[in-house]
This record gives sequence, C-alpha cells and structure tokens, in this order.
Amino acid sequence: MNLVEKILARGSGRKAIKPGDVVVAEIECAILHDLSARSCRVVFENQVGGSLKHPERIVVVFDHQFSPPTEDKAEVLLKTREFCYKHGITLYDCGNGNVHVCTMQNAHIRPGALVVGSDSHSPVHGVMGVFSAALGNDSYAAMVMPHSNCWFRVPDAISIELVGEPKPGTTARDVALWLCATIGEGKGNYYAIKFHGEYIDSLPFWDRWLFPLMAVDVGAKCSYIEPDATTEKFAQSLGLKDYEIVRDDLGTKFAESWRWDVSAIEPQICFPPTVGNVRPIREFAGIPIQWAELGGHGGGRSEDVEMAAHVLRSANKHPRVNFNIVPSSRHVFSEAVGNGNLSLLHERGATWFPPSTGANQAVNMGAMAAGEVTISTHARTFPGRNGSPKSCMYLASALSVAAAAVAGKIVDPREML
Amino acid sequence: MAPQSTATENDKLVARGRAWLFGDNIPTDQIVPSKLLFLPMAEIVKHILEDLRPDFPGQLKRGDIIVAGHHFGQSSGRAVAPKAIQAAGISCIVAESFARTFLRNCYEIGLPILECRSVSKAVSDGDIVQADLIAGRLANETTKASLPATPCNEFLLKMLRAGGVIAMVKQQQGSAP
Repeated sequence: MNLVEKILARGSGRKAIKPGDVVVAEIECAILHDLSARSCRVVFENQVGGSLKHPERIVVVFDHQFSPPTEDKAEVLLKTREFCYKHGITLYDCGNGNVHVCTMQNAHIRPGALVVGSDSHSPVHGVMGVFSAALGNDSYAAMVMPHSNCWFRVPDAISIELVGEPKPGTTARDVALWLCATIGEGKGNYYAIKFHGEYIDSLPFWDRWLFPLMAVDVGAKCSYIEPDATTEKFAQSLGLKDYEIVRDDLGTKFAESWRWDVSAIEPQICFPPTVGNVRPIREFAGIPIQWAELGGHGGGRSEDVEMAAHVLRSANKHPRVNFNIVPSSRHVFSEAVGNGNLSLLHERGATWFPPSTGANQAVNMGAMAAGEVTISTHARTFPGRNGSPKSCMYLASALSVAAAAVAGKIVDPREML
Repeated sequence: MAPQSTATENDKLVARGRAWLFGDNIPTDQIVPSKLLFLPMAEIVKHILEDLRPDFPGQLKRGDIIVAGHHFGQSSGRAVAPKAIQAAGISCIVAESFARTFLRNCYEIGLPILECRSVSKAVSDGDIVQADLIAGRLANETTKASLPATPCNEFLLKMLRAGGVIAMVKQQQGSAP
C-alpha cells in the first residue's frame, strides 16, 4: 500500500484497502476557515445538533477577514467565535494568517495523520507526509463534528518524479505553475499525487509546500511527499513529538508514473480564466499592472518576502502600483521584523497587511474595478473572483510579482536579478 | 434498448429533462460568485451561472438537467454551489467528470449527478435527456443516442436515496442496535 492507503486503512480499522473502496475513517485534525466554519456551523446547528466528539481536533482560522468590514460580517464572525468557545474548538481569530500556513505553523499537522479541511487547497498538508483532503460542509456537520469520522473513496495514485536543477530566476512556484499546465486541469481528478525525486528532495519545507498545493489545480483528492530528514527537522522545529512516520511500502505500484526535468523551465505566469493557463512570463512582458500582492495559500511565506526584499533593495515600488504584502502567519511577520525586511519593504513603498489570506476572493481586501490588473502569488484567476469580471488576475512567483511592482508592468524577473 | 431502473423509490435516480450545456472546468466561483454567498437562497438562485449564461437563471425549469464537460465544479469547495443548483430545481448534473469536492457535496446534499465521458459531443443545448444513475446510462431522446455512463457506487446511492449524508447518518443511528 502507499502512504494514503496505509493512513486510510489505519483510520478505518482495516488491514488492507484498495482504490475504489469506500471507507469510514477516524479524523485526527479538521481545519475550517471563517467562511466555511460559518456554513458548517449553520448546517450543524440547524440539522444535526448535540455535542462534538473531539472538539480539540478541530481548528478554525479566521483568515479571509482580518477585521470585518461590515456589521453583517462581524456578526457572522461573532457567532462562529461563540460556537468555538462553547464547544472548545481551537480558534485562531483575525490576524493569525492563512488557514493552511497558520495551522501548519502552529503544530496541528502531525506527520502520518488523517487530516481534512473545508478549503479546497487542504491537500497542501500532504507536504508533511499526511493524508489530507478537502470535504464539503455537510461532511463536517453530519460526520466530522459529531462523530470525528468521515467517508472516503480510496483514490488511485499517480507518482510524479522531478529531477534537475532550475535556472536562476526560476523559483519553485514557477516549476509548480509549469507543472500544472503540463499535466492539465482536471487530469489528476480523484487521484492521490505523490511528488518525489532529486528536485523535491533538494527543496526546503516551504518550497515543497507549493507542490501538494498545486495538485489541487489538476484535480487531485490528496497529495503527499514521503517524510524525510527535511520533514522531520521541520516537525521537530515546531515541537512535535510522538508522531508516526508513514511511507509507501517497497514496490508500491502507481496507476501512472510521470517524470520531468525542471532544468529548462523559465519563469512562468498563470493567466485567466482558469489555473491551467500558464506560459513563460516573458510573453506577457509590458502589460501594465495597478496591483501587486504577496499573499494567499501559496504566497506570503518568508521565502516570498525575502525575494521581494531582494528586488526592492535597490529600487522603489512604481508610483502607479499598489504593492500589498500579506504575511501568511504571525511567524512570517516576526521573521520580517527580525531580519529587517519589514522596514526595508515599507520604505520602498510596499504596504504591509495583517497576517491573513489577503485578497483571496476579495472578502476583506483586494477587489478590483473593471479594467484593473493585479499580479500576485495567489492560487486562482477566475474572472469575478476579485471584484469586476472585467478585471484581470495574473499569478506568478514572488520574484515576478516584486519585479512587476517595481516596473509598473509585467516583466521577466531575470532582468532584475 | 438501454437498461432502465423501475423501482419508484428510485425516481430521483432517473432524471429526465431539457439539457443546458456548459463547458469544461466551470468553477464554483461562477456557479455562485463570492459576492452572493451570504444572500438568502431564494436570491442566490436568481443568479446561478449567470456570468456564463445570462439567460440561464430566468429560463430554467424544474427538472432541467445541466450537461457539462470535464472537471465541473472546480475551485472553492463551497457547498452553496450545488445547493443553489438543487434549489433552482435542476434534477441532475451530467458531466464528463466532476471536481472532487463538488462531487462529494452533490452526494452529501442528495443532488443526483452522473459521470458520462462522451456527453459533451453527444448532447446539444435544448435536447431532452434521461440520466439513469443506477444503470449508468444517459439517453438522448432528441437524437435517440444512448451513452454509457459510470454507475453510482452502492454507498453513494444509499446516500442519495436518504436525501444526503445528514439524513443517512441519522437513519443509521436510528437503526443501530
């Protein structure tokens, strides 16, 4: 069995399972954000009720709102906050960061665990060697909250091996964007995707993060990187102990095995309407932008802040661009305070926002008028997601976002290295 | 002749209606945009999928069927997207494939869906189609074509018959010794 099958077998009390089986398995961690916690709470209270079996396993992060902009939204947050207090659910209130980064950074994800999340990017936690999948609201209301379990159809698995070393200017985000387009949206639908190979091995933890994150965009149910020394070192840095290291059995077979060399990949850009539209960024050079943002599930990491600092060390932000930086956790903000990047980027004209998920869906920030253009490290480009359907969202690496913020237009970031 | 289900309790598992065609990779963001998320359902259904087909919310009739390409319902796992489709009276969604959280949400709220690999090529907008979840077949009454589809898993049929996961779990608790 592979890592996913082993965790689902253990969780459902079975010795062996195979793709296609439907099992009911015990949940070890469940993650909700402010929007989904509200929906799950309403369904639970109206249609199920009673007590929660393991409230301490549920983590709620208010990440789309760092400060509610209207009375209605304040009331929604208040009700969910009271629900968490009443039931003993762990709550990270406004200003704690992006739902996934906050949960990971605060040691809720233990290697080998069975994790579920309401957010569609929940498979990202597979970076820690866990099973992690996104579930709908009613899974929480009917099963996860009252019984601490849920139903799963055991997925087939795809193995993706990445080898080679990227060129200067090509970051892990560029490789992930390129890979999404190369595989194709929906082509990994329902599958578990394993990432491995010398390129993955060589990456630090938070760069590995971008691969299970991207797996969602090709449709994967879950994704994982087998735990190794990098994983264990990171887990221990969070103070985690007594976790279980789960790996594939020797000789595990996969439905598909794909291999790519990353050494020729150029800096990439993802363009609307959907996330599978990716080309080399040089082909889009010259398009004026009004907004640039580091933030979201795949941005606002310390690595992203460092890339921006590198670009803006010797250049100011363009006067006609608003450059917003949204740390993905309080830890990232602390690091920026400590290493001087906070003041450097502030003085170069960037605007720091509270740790949150930033402009994601424009719930608390980041709406655009018709004709406006943003480039960001976010994960989605769908028209209408951030204000006017006639605005335009591009996605790229933090290096490319910072380079555009300086140039006032999309540029090949290699010009600023 | 295509195999058909007969049991009356399975009525919702055999849906018949006018087909509304949509493309590939339709995101939940375009089924129910974020700006509508917290409006009453009666208000949301007036706007479903309107960014893609402005005529759709005003003209669809109870029992109609959405026919789409691959990876329908991708992006945000918001359950309000299938709930709005259900509330609008759509009896079934037939797609070449579904995004997986969307697929889960449909079963969990009791909205029939059918995966049919060749549906986009074999159905035109406005055709009358019949989707049979038990047999795993889509019949296009307008063109007389009959297409193979993926039969629904037994556990998930049970969930659809119960009317969703909440009702199914309650039934199981009620029948537990």
